[in-house]
Amino acid sequence: MIMSSGIGQFTVVDQGTIAQNDIGSNFFLDFESLGKSKAERACELLGELNEDVQGHWIAEDIISVLNENPGFLAQFSTVIATDITRETAEKIAALCWLNGHSADTVADNNRPAGKKRTTFAWVKTVGLVGAVRIAVPEHTIVETHPENVADLRIDSPFPELAEFAKSFNFETEDGLEFGHIPYVAILLKYMEEWRNEHGGEIPSTYAAKNQLKANIRSGMRSPDDENFEEAIGSVLRSCQRTAVPNTIKELFNDPKCENLTAESGNFWILMRGVRNFVNDHSKSGGVLPLSGTIPDMKALTDSYVTLQSIYKAKAKRDVQEVSKIVESLLESLGLAAGSISLQEIESFCKYSAFLKVIRYRSLEEEYQQPKSKEIASWLSDPDSVFPHYVLLRASDSFYDDHGRYPGEGDNWEDDVDQLHANMTTLLQSWGIESDAVSKDLTYEICRYGNGSIHNTASFMGGVVSQEVIKLITHQYTPMDNTFIFDGVRSVSAVFAV
Amino acid sequence: MTDTQAITDNKRWAGVYKLLDRNSRIHPEFEPQEEIKEFIKSCKILVIGAGGLGCEILKNLALSGFCDIHVIDMDTIDVSNLNRQFLFRRADVGKPKAVTAAEFVNRRVQGVEVTPHYCKIQDKDEDFYSEFALIICGLDSIEARRWINATLVGMRDEDNPDSIKPLIDGGKPTGFPLCTIANTPRLPEHCIEWASVIEWSNRHGDRKMDTDDPKDIQWLYETALTRAEQYNIQGVTYSLTQGVVKNIIPAIAATNAIVAASCCNEALKIATTCAKNLNNYMMYSGNDSVYTYTFEHQRKDDCPVCSNSSTRLDFSGDKTLEDFMEYLKEKPDVQLKKPSFSLAGKPLYMQAPKPLEEAMRPNLSKTLNELFSSGSELTITDSTLPFSLQTIVTFV
Repeated sequence: MIMSSGIGQFTVVDQGTIAQNDIGSNFFLDFESLGKSKAERACELLGELNEDVQGHWIAEDIISVLNENPGFLAQFSTVIATDITRETAEKIAALCWLNGHSADTVADNNRPAGKKRTTFAWVKTVGLVGAVRIAVPEHTIVETHPENVADLRIDSPFPELAEFAKSFNFETEDGLEFGHIPYVAILLKYMEEWRNEHGGEIPSTYAAKNQLKANIRSGMRSPDDENFEEAIGSVLRSCQRTAVPNTIKELFNDPKCENLTAESGNFWILMRGVRNFVNDHSKSGGVLPLSGTIPDMKALTDSYVTLQSIYKAKAKRDVQEVSKIVESLLESLGLAAGSISLQEIESFCKYSAFLKVIRYRSLEEEYQQPKSKEIASWLSDPDSVFPHYVLLRASDSFYDDHGRYPGEGDNWEDDVDQLHANMTTLLQSWGIESDAVSKDLTYEICRYGNGSIHNTASFMGGVVSQEVIKLITHQYTPMDNTFIFDGVRSVSAVFAV
Repeated sequence: MTDTQAITDNKRWAGVYKLLDRNSRIHPEFEPQEEIKEFIKSCKILVIGAGGLGCEILKNLALSGFCDIHVIDMDTIDVSNLNRQFLFRRADVGKPKAVTAAEFVNRRVQGVEVTPHYCKIQDKDEDFYSEFALIICGLDSIEARRWINATLVGMRDEDNPDSIKPLIDGGKPTGFPLCTIANTPRLPEHCIEWASVIEWSNRHGDRKMDTDDPKDIQWLYETALTRAEQYNIQGVTYSLTQGVVKNIIPAIAATNAIVAASCCNEALKIATTCAKNLNNYMMYSGNDSVYTYTFEHQRKDDCPVCSNSSTRLDFSGDKTLEDFMEYLKEKPDVQLKKPSFSLAGKPLYMQAPKPLEEAMRPNLSKTLNELFSSGSELTITDSTLPFSLQTIVTFV
């Protein structure tokens, strides 16, 4: 999947040679591959998928590679680890974490060489169960692709908008014209009337909002006036006062926004720029830059396009203001003028109500500072897939004790008690009753015997590719931080462990 | 190759065989038997569609140990398929998808025999479909998915369990195949996607489209409209253009993998009974974190496909047959394409043959009152349905 997503290069590290079960579970290894290096052959056959992607391979154990060259991972934007023990995962994750302390909004492939942050993704499958763990200190997203970025300012129209709304003739005899007055103009008219009668206040109670709806309804001439229905449908949303969302206020107060340095990522410089804009009431009225987006609505093409242009023009003015602030910030930080492009500023302003920062927990934190309270609550739901997380962790402990995974041998049922004991120890370390996970599930994990099922691998491969693409491109919101899939019930969930 | 290197199923399918050799306490009904392994190898399984989902499904089935796989697809390979449909290479452009996909899997996975059928699903009869133990659908055409569903439901014989054919249907709700956009546009949306995906970069190079800039939308709208006129497609509007371009989804390859893997996971469970089955619907969404939702779709008592009773519809007797026809095309649970109507064996309106259509066309502008009385049972046929729909129409 990753091969067709636009990546430039990949490297496969695997010291193994190809055995029959590898061919059985990996489509990119064929019959002629038996006995050859896994890394080399996978790289060769994957290369056929996309001629534009450059493949490399290293037929060595990752641990020996890292022992020889501890800086090896710094060249990669992402490390995806599969089929490794917990010990190896911890080592790789720690090295990636060190490379990860410079996150900004620039897509990773645009970063200069040697300044990469390395995202760590660990995938495992056991029979019909799979898990993905992602770790990177900080991930910022501007383009979260929210469903609706419309910000109509019905409660506080800017002058050009108020003027436009007044240009419609509500007394017209022409039914077509009346039926095509954009609902934004309808809302603005009735909202203004309301304010005139209520000392400048907008409706705040449920009853008041319903009254505003009734007022609008009374202006309808025919039940076919869809534009009035659209206006009524938007009353609740429009009566929410335009304000900076709490999630964004928190980001304004983040130390990274507070304490800019020449090393700050673009994301935080832009965040500070928007914060200064919001604080300058004369420019912003104390609210975020306008998104400039309007939803589709019943209207004549001309008036729709005019309305769109009015919002767009205001958004552009906001961007210009933010842009000036950003330029002066860059100057004060000793950074080159124009080093943050106008396009980046525009995008940041447009999505400013939806910006996101994810700070992952490291593997070390997961193991050393378990979130016992949350774990107890995840386990209290009888339909949860969280027991599989516990069993995979217990399987790692089993491996530490026995040098193999539960159920691998022919006497697989003999491992059930041992694995259950590992799990009980783990649960007790979190202060949780040992019967929180059914022994039948322990038995099921032993049944799988660490076997690889292609469908599970393909499913998990799809999930991890999708998440890695989101992390590399800074588009959409990736999961935080562990995804668990149970192929028996075909259910999954995400837990921030 | 020496004998010791010969491929053995025990080694190759070690992961799957553990499931089949070992009993389960969460699914105690399962009894491990050697016959089950033989069954996976010998049972016939049909894959409908050899596109993005179909390629993934074929690969997954072959690596699950299914050996007798059939694939049916009417399309040939287009250059724009190469990116996502990983069984096809540049040299395959122009060849039938089903044939090329089958050859690739047969070459790659030893002992698997994929049989291609380069034709429409409607070209095959019930005898063909009755040969399969299981059918997996990887199509994005809703019309074809409805057709196969109705065909399989129609084949069921309560006294013969073998006549019941499980259908696993995988689909993606949004996004159009690039090949459709490039070569065979049918819908206004196809023209808009063509303007935004293909023509935009041809004309504007690297400049990013601003979907909130009326100028950009206007350009897309005009470009899409010109294309729609070439193909005689109606319905490209400014607001539709806007709706389509704001909804472009990335990373289809990963979504295909996830949906196909879920389908094949269920196929393996159905064929082997090694674990319970999904009951009966799962969806995946990757926009915000990773989200899957599993639930049981209930059977509808008046489902036009699986209930035995006639469908009942309320409609105004003062409206015309043409109005009624438009209503049936838009009604979400019916969605007919080109319906024909008859009453007690006597045609009211027929889409084909042409002379008959012309002769009966005047009926379209008559009101239902003029054509029949309230409570009459109409027989409706349509290309999307392999059977006729009995519908009692009550005037309101």
